Amino acid sequence: MPEPRPIDDAADSGHAADHAAIDRLASELLPALIAKLGATGLGELEVRQDGWRVRLRRPADGVTRERRPAGGAARSQPGHSGHGHGPLPSEGTRQARASASTNGSGPGPQVAVGPGRGTPAAVPADGPAMAVSPAVGMYRPDPESRAGRRVRAGDRLGVVDMLGVPHEVVAPVDGILGEQLVEPGDAVEYGQELLVIEFAEAPATEA
Amino acid sequence: MFRKILIANRGEIALRVLRACRTLGIEAVVVYSEADRESLPVQLADEAICIGPADARRSYLSAPAVISAALVTDCDAIHPGYGFLSEDEGFADVVAAHGLTFIGPPADVLERFGSKEATRRLLGSHGLPTIPGSDGMLRDDLHALGEAERIGYPVLIKPSAGGGGKGMRMVRTPRELESALRVCRSEAKAAFGDDSLYLEKWLDENRHVEVQVAVDRYGRGVHLGERDCSVQRRHQKIIEEAPTPALSAAARADLADRAIQAVVAAGYENIGTLEFLVDGEGNAFFIEINCRIQVEHPVTEMLTGIDLVALQIGIAAGEPLGLRQADVKLNGHAIEFRINAEDPAHDFRPGAGVIERYHAPGGPWVRMDSHLYPGYEVPPYYDSLLGKLIVWGPNREIAIARGRAALEELLIDGVITNIDIHRALLENDTFLEGRMTTNLLDRVGGAAFLAAAAAGARG
Repeated sequence: MPEPRPIDDAADSGHAADHAAIDRLASELLPALIAKLGATGLGELEVRQDGWRVRLRRPADGVTRERRPAGGAARSQPGHSGHGHGPLPSEGTRQARASASTNGSGPGPQVAVGPGRGTPAAVPADGPAMAVSPAVGMYRPDPESRAGRRVRAGDRLGVVDMLGVPHEVVAPVDGILGEQLVEPGDAVEYGQELLVIEFAEAPATEA
Repeated sequence: MFRKILIANRGEIALRVLRACRTLGIEAVVVYSEADRESLPVQLADEAICIGPADARRSYLSAPAVISAALVTDCDAIHPGYGFLSEDEGFADVVAAHGLTFIGPPADVLERFGSKEATRRLLGSHGLPTIPGSDGMLRDDLHALGEAERIGYPVLIKPSAGGGGKGMRMVRTPRELESALRVCRSEAKAAFGDDSLYLEKWLDENRHVEVQVAVDRYGRGVHLGERDCSVQRRHQKIIEEAPTPALSAAARADLADRAIQAVVAAGYENIGTLEFLVDGEGNAFFIEINCRIQVEHPVTEMLTGIDLVALQIGIAAGEPLGLRQADVKLNGHAIEFRINAEDPAHDFRPGAGVIERYHAPGGPWVRMDSHLYPGYEVPPYYDSLLGKLIVWGPNREIAIARGRAALEELLIDGVITNIDIHRALLENDTFLEGRMTTNLLDRVGGAAFLAAAAAGARG
């Protein structure tokens, strides 16, 4: 069920301020909180600050969220590394592998942020989502697709050029753009993860 | 020679091409759809790249996806395998336009031999006896009825494009012709995107014999003997062998000589296969040419000791053939059994599922080309070929005995296969005597054939 939206779309005036607040929370508060949660072994941590409430929750019984594999290169399958052939990934796939490993999918804490203004915090059931490549080709993100940008499901984030024909990369869910997993101009394969979307929320049906 | 090849196919042929690349010291990239992520060629390749979803039209049949994959992985050539884009002259053309080499005939050669009906006339003009057929493509039902009357029933309706029995029907009356035309048009349209059809005279008791040829860029060509592919089910080959028991040694040599002379004269390039129907009197009629590596190519490799995929790659790279006809020795007898995920007891219904156990037969002169492994999930989206078992012997009797032993040893659990049909065929008198025609199985049906074999084994 759609949770209450963390940001009220209609309130345009408060929009930019909310955006800035979330950016600040994400960059300043979250890393510290994540470290703390990891060190303590606690199941959940909640912090209130400036009218916002940030809650971190460890995944239940250590089950890790299964992330969609980012194509062949990011798999832990043999062939790319397991058969001792000295795999030689392409530029694009090498990039993807590096990103996938730094981006880890271990049992890390899940993050939820919501405005603490009398409404319950939005706790997406499923953590970050991924914008994936619609084609095999060269990735060109849109200039405005920087970390921190708020996006809606269906928003265009960039294109993958397949023989000169652009195929749009779109946000699969509402959320905030996070890490770019692939450099602009890199080769990508079909289904490869390109961009993290934090605070992902299934698209709400607009009233 | 090429530095790095993109293999634009799946299953056993992707593995076969990968092995040829390894032998030649060429790097290989395998493309895959999301349904083939865990496939053996993907795991064994130097690199693998996902090009689309399970739907072949958006992955293995997508020329832009395949070419883009070749460019981003820095390949200099594309091997199309068989099926999919392997005989698409438009694809070959675009591949060349992007500075890559299509491993097969150049686009202009593919175009010249692209229409089956036109090819029949072209090679007919270069001295090959051809099967009587319609004058060009069928314009409409009236034209079809008139042409069928002129050729004489029964006739075979055939699509100009493609293969594998799709869009093909044999009809015996004008009434059957009219209703079959509609079915064939829609099947051909769906399978090949082209619904043009033509007619061929149908020979009731025919044998399917084909000649393997190889021609380099400089117009030098050799034949590599023939194969007999008469054991079929609805125009799909099940067993292939060489030499053909249908023709004498002199007749086989004569057919192969005429075939290579005709294709060289007509300007063919790269490896190819000329298919003939052979009637009860041993008369051979040319029907079509396949401009690709074929499923049954290992039969010829076993006889000649020549790696046909490596030869194909070399020709595409512009290397001279390096073979004279006298260098091609056809030794002994080879038989290939196509192992399919289909249920012979239920009209060869194709199946899918997880391979629970798999054991490939071994021993001398036994070859198994297969992408199976225990735990592999056979996806439901593609053709049902699980692998090919090929055996060789100094003569047909010994090859059959080795085939029997190997089929006994072959173990595939988890999906229903047609292995029982092969075992039954190796007990069938018509096959054992080498008298099989293309209707051997269809005459009685798979289930009845198995039942008869079981009854024979008990009695």
